[in-house]
Amino acid sequence: MELKICHLYPEVLNLYGDRGNILCMTRRLEKRGISCSVKSVGIGDEDDLTGYDLFFIGGGQDFEQEVLLNDLGKGKGASIRSAVEDGKTFLCICGGYQMMGHYYQTHEGVRCQFLGAVDLYTVGDKMRMIGNYAFTLGEESGGGCVVGFENHSGRTYLGEGVRSLGTIVKGYGNNGEDKTEGVRFRNLFGSYSHGPILPKNPQLCDHILKTALEYKYGGAELAPLDDRMELLAHDRVLKAYLN
Amino acid sequence: MSLKTICAVAACKLTRSTLRVLKRGGTALPGKAARVFDPEVLRSVSRGMEIIVVTGTNGKTTTCGMLVNALKESGRECLANRSGANLLSGVTAELTCNATWTGKPKTHYAVIECDEGALKQVAPLINPKVIVVTNLFRDQLDRYGEVMHTLDELRKGVKGVPDSILCLNADDSLTGSLAGDVSNRVVYYGMDTPVGDQKDPALSDAKYCIRCGAEYRYHYHTYAHLGGYYCPKCGYSRPDADVAITGISQMTAQGSRCSLRIAQENAPQTEMEMSVGLPAVYNLYNAAAAVSAYTAFGLPSSEIIDSLATVHSSFGRMENFTLGETPLQMILVKNPAGCTQALEYLAAIGKPYRAVFCLNDRTADGHDISWIWDADYEKICGDENLRGILVAGDRAEDMQLRLKYAGADTDRIRLVREPKDTLDWIRESDVPVFALPNYTSMLELRDAVRKETGAKEFWE
Ligand SMILES: [Zn+2]
Repeated sequence: MELKICHLYPEVLNLYGDRGNILCMTRRLEKRGISCSVKSVGIGDEDDLTGYDLFFIGGGQDFEQEVLLNDLGKGKGASIRSAVEDGKTFLCICGGYQMMGHYYQTHEGVRCQFLGAVDLYTVGDKMRMIGNYAFTLGEESGGGCVVGFENHSGRTYLGEGVRSLGTIVKGYGNNGEDKTEGVRFRNLFGSYSHGPILPKNPQLCDHILKTALEYKYGGAELAPLDDRMELLAHDRVLKAYLN
Repeated sequence: MSLKTICAVAACKLTRSTLRVLKRGGTALPGKAARVFDPEVLRSVSRGMEIIVVTGTNGKTTTCGMLVNALKESGRECLANRSGANLLSGVTAELTCNATWTGKPKTHYAVIECDEGALKQVAPLINPKVIVVTNLFRDQLDRYGEVMHTLDELRKGVKGVPDSILCLNADDSLTGSLAGDVSNRVVYYGMDTPVGDQKDPALSDAKYCIRCGAEYRYHYHTYAHLGGYYCPKCGYSRPDADVAITGISQMTAQGSRCSLRIAQENAPQTEMEMSVGLPAVYNLYNAAAAVSAYTAFGLPSSEIIDSLATVHSSFGRMENFTLGETPLQMILVKNPAGCTQALEYLAAIGKPYRAVFCLNDRTADGHDISWIWDADYEKICGDENLRGILVAGDRAEDMQLRLKYAGADTDRIRLVREPKDTLDWIRESDVPVFALPNYTSMLELRDAVRKETGAKEFWE
């Protein structure tokens, strides 16, 4: 078995320790004897994304997103949309998560068109939503409690019938209003959690890997790993900050 | 002198002495008390002074220390604030407490470290003769949002004082962009020579041209996004440095030797050798920044160059202690660029050592600790000279996990919460120990070490 991971726009979307997510996925695959490769696909690179099994896209600075939107418009945007539509597995964090939606509207009312791969949109606000936070995953995303760190001024609203990734236990989540956090659409996982999200939440990492393996091979069992240090870090956040 | 100023000065001095009696090193509270009576007291107590302000992400404290050292060694009395007091209230406290009871400055010179976000409040009040911007890296993201936001804050700060001379890092495309937006006279310092492995850094805080968005190219790299950058599309590029390090002849754990070129207005260009008594590349940058600020200040460059050879480490920045029999060096790390530089320094030690990583996430640290994933702990985790690892602090578990992923031998990692346990572990080490704490964990650790070794309190 082998998973081909595509790291989208690592040169611009890498703001919050996102490479920890890539590290986590590759390490957990390697420990199970599943080979994997990671290829960075950035601005100006080829638009054909059909050869990949798992996509990761992180968060970035506003200034650099302009550069990126140009590139999306040139063809990569269409490739990403069809990969999502085909059921390829995606993990999208923060800015990368917002980008999967229809648009981002700034506080001043300027609308920036995004990919529209998932039925959601984001509206900028003056107040940033910042802090350690926790949410419970829906059944379809493996269940359990995820801890992370959020830092966003955009409020994201999901379209009707679109499932969230989880339900907020403590913190703001998508918009600070409806208790939803992130999105779960086909095999796309979107979240505001950076920090990075996966190392401290190994059950979510495994669920994402399994999703990608099932799509490619029709099924996969992942042997348990020694996650003591991972769970210590997870539980520390939960106990110290979120009670 | 107005009555409100006199009341402000009194409030400041009395608050500080009360705190001292209570054995608390109040650095901000006295300033707050003063500003209750006179929000602009800082303007009065700094009137007529000649002041250098140092701001930027990394190197503020060390650069200030270098400048203070040079002024003092050349027989000039000067005031300086402590790194923990670099916001408006802290700067106010330092200058106000050191003024006469009627609010007049007692010294002619001051070297002020200023937080990037506070520059716009502090600078107009103290009207500095020189402002040094060291560099801009990602730091404390949850406080400022983004690097570009910090740059905006700096721009506002500089625009408020058009007569100040600006000393900018020529090798940093981010802070270099300030020059185009302001009317201030600008002096550049930098490194004309490549250092390190010349690999394009995997993570860069400035990959794309700040003017046009095209990807930068580099004639050479120094570290992180610093180096001989140029934009192939719009031509934005590294300016020539007025104070330039032109070659590095020696780099050891004690310090570096390099050649320096100084070009000044109305003076012939000079070349000389310079020794810097602190190790690592980033301290060469700090030294170049200090030389450029000192000469822009109108003082002889020879004074600062001579003093740099024996410069002391400042508070928690490569500060040396001995605990029991164990040599301990403390290196404050606050962001990926600075941390990676510190790790590179450890990797080059070439002798067995132990490492301590302390991680807190309190307000002064920034609550977001995700930056540890952007620092290259991989540089040392496979190093056979690394004989043991201790993790401590509020987020010790996160630190431990990061080191696991960096390839550390997990059986060799100890996790403790209390500084006391950290001290015990250091004391029992038979090899030198390097501690890399972030800000508040450095204060804690240093305080514990100080109690045992008798080093100075941080407000002394
Ligand atoms: Zn350009």
